[in-house]
Amino acid sequence: MGEAIVITSGKGGVGKTTTTANLGTALALQGKKVCLVDTDLGLRNLDVILGLENRIIYDLVDVIEGRCKTHQALVKDKRFEEGLFLLPAAQTTDKNSVTPDQMKKLVEELKRDYDYILIDCPAGIEQGYKNAVAGADRAIVVTTPEISAIRDADRIIGMLEQEEIEPPKLIINRIKSNLMNDAEALDVNEITTHLSIDLLGIVMDDERVITSSNKGEPIVMNPANAASLGYRNIARRILGESVPLMSISQTKSGFFGKLKSLFAK
Amino acid sequence: MTKKQYVMIKGTKDGLVLKLDDKCAYSDLLEELRNRVSESELEGLSQVQVDLGYRYCNESELKELTAIIHSSPNLHISKIQSDVLTVEECNERVLEKQSETYIGIVRSGQVLEAKGDLVVIGDVNPNARVIAGGSIYVLGRLKGIAHAGANGNREAVIAASWLEATHLIIDDKMELMTDELTILSEQPEMECAYLHTKGFIAIDRLQELRIIRPQLSSFRGGI
Repeated sequence: MGEAIVITSGKGGVGKTTTTANLGTALALQGKKVCLVDTDLGLRNLDVILGLENRIIYDLVDVIEGRCKTHQALVKDKRFEEGLFLLPAAQTTDKNSVTPDQMKKLVEELKRDYDYILIDCPAGIEQGYKNAVAGADRAIVVTTPEISAIRDADRIIGMLEQEEIEPPKLIINRIKSNLMNDAEALDVNEITTHLSIDLLGIVMDDERVITSSNKGEPIVMNPANAASLGYRNIARRILGESVPLMSISQTKSGFFGKLKSLFAK
Repeated sequence: MTKKQYVMIKGTKDGLVLKLDDKCAYSDLLEELRNRVSESELEGLSQVQVDLGYRYCNESELKELTAIIHSSPNLHISKIQSDVLTVEECNERVLEKQSETYIGIVRSGQVLEAKGDLVVIGDVNPNARVIAGGSIYVLGRLKGIAHAGANGNREAVIAASWLEATHLIIDDKMELMTDELTILSEQPEMECAYLHTKGFIAIDRLQELRIIRPQLSSFRGGI
């Protein structure tokens, strides 16, 4: 029996889909059987990030409305031997064509065959959110070190605490090390004390996250990258390992940066 | 046999007191009240206190009584009092006197309401709202909206370990915690907000509460 984890944030554009794709890939790299479910009906893009767009035949709504069997709609990622599957969202219907009960049934069914079901939640707190959360056992809230994203995360955490699931965990995405070190942005500690939930991990901001997403290859496939390392660490923590939090100042600042910081003191 | 008077009118320095008999039938009482009000020979407007004794009157009966008394141009009701309460009203009053405790974090978009005092152990985050009929005490950071004395209690206060609320409301007075006010309060740690006698919301150190609102203390007896 697997575990269903919903990845949500409230605010749009903080990296839910990227996080889902990368955590799913990282878990598959660790040898787990993973199924990703895109519940962003009408605005799907998890398939694009995984590079599986042109292999979709059936989608989530087809499964729910009984037009196909569940396994027929799952798209296999060929880079992993039977390790990573995607259930794509429908692009033509809207969020009201699925109900939370139907989602719950579907996730229960998937839990029998997979170790982890990662559910990519749409932005907002309406029907789409309710559908995504319905079948989940755990929740991960993604935020960025911006005040607007943190406000929305606070709202979504409050809503998740009303559900019958484990207390949500936090991922802080897109950390710009130079801003945080100069105390220009909210730091990790401030964010976690403000939201007062457990921190699951942090992910550095990196341009290559975008370029690799564009190529349909999640960044986590590239082992020599700060963002990739963040996702890998989070995946290991999901599996129950205790991995120390990486330090933000670890990223190289170059000779001039060092010189500058020397004078700043 | 002399007929007993159901309506007694007494004059005091605060105006008239209408003492209504609480043993007679309600209809008899209304009839006599009607007569007495119409034959009164008063000049000018006088304030009337209605004393119902041990009679319980519901909302519509109270309206009827008010209408009869107000039918005279010289009478104006300042207060209606009764020695009896329904169980419901009694429970309501108990709730208003009570202090409720919430342990946890009140998050953005959530509303926490209490009839009486409210104690929050945890934070009140931005965009969260805490409302109380009495005072609000936050053991944690108050960063959202706090509304104390929501039912017209102007004695209510808002106290917090860290008072950084965006909006402070006491009764019907609202204060936005602008930067100016934050500067005024220097340090948001261990502070309380109260309604100043001049009608604005003031912020002071928590320790000053014993001087500002000594009546809030419910502790009696020696130490």
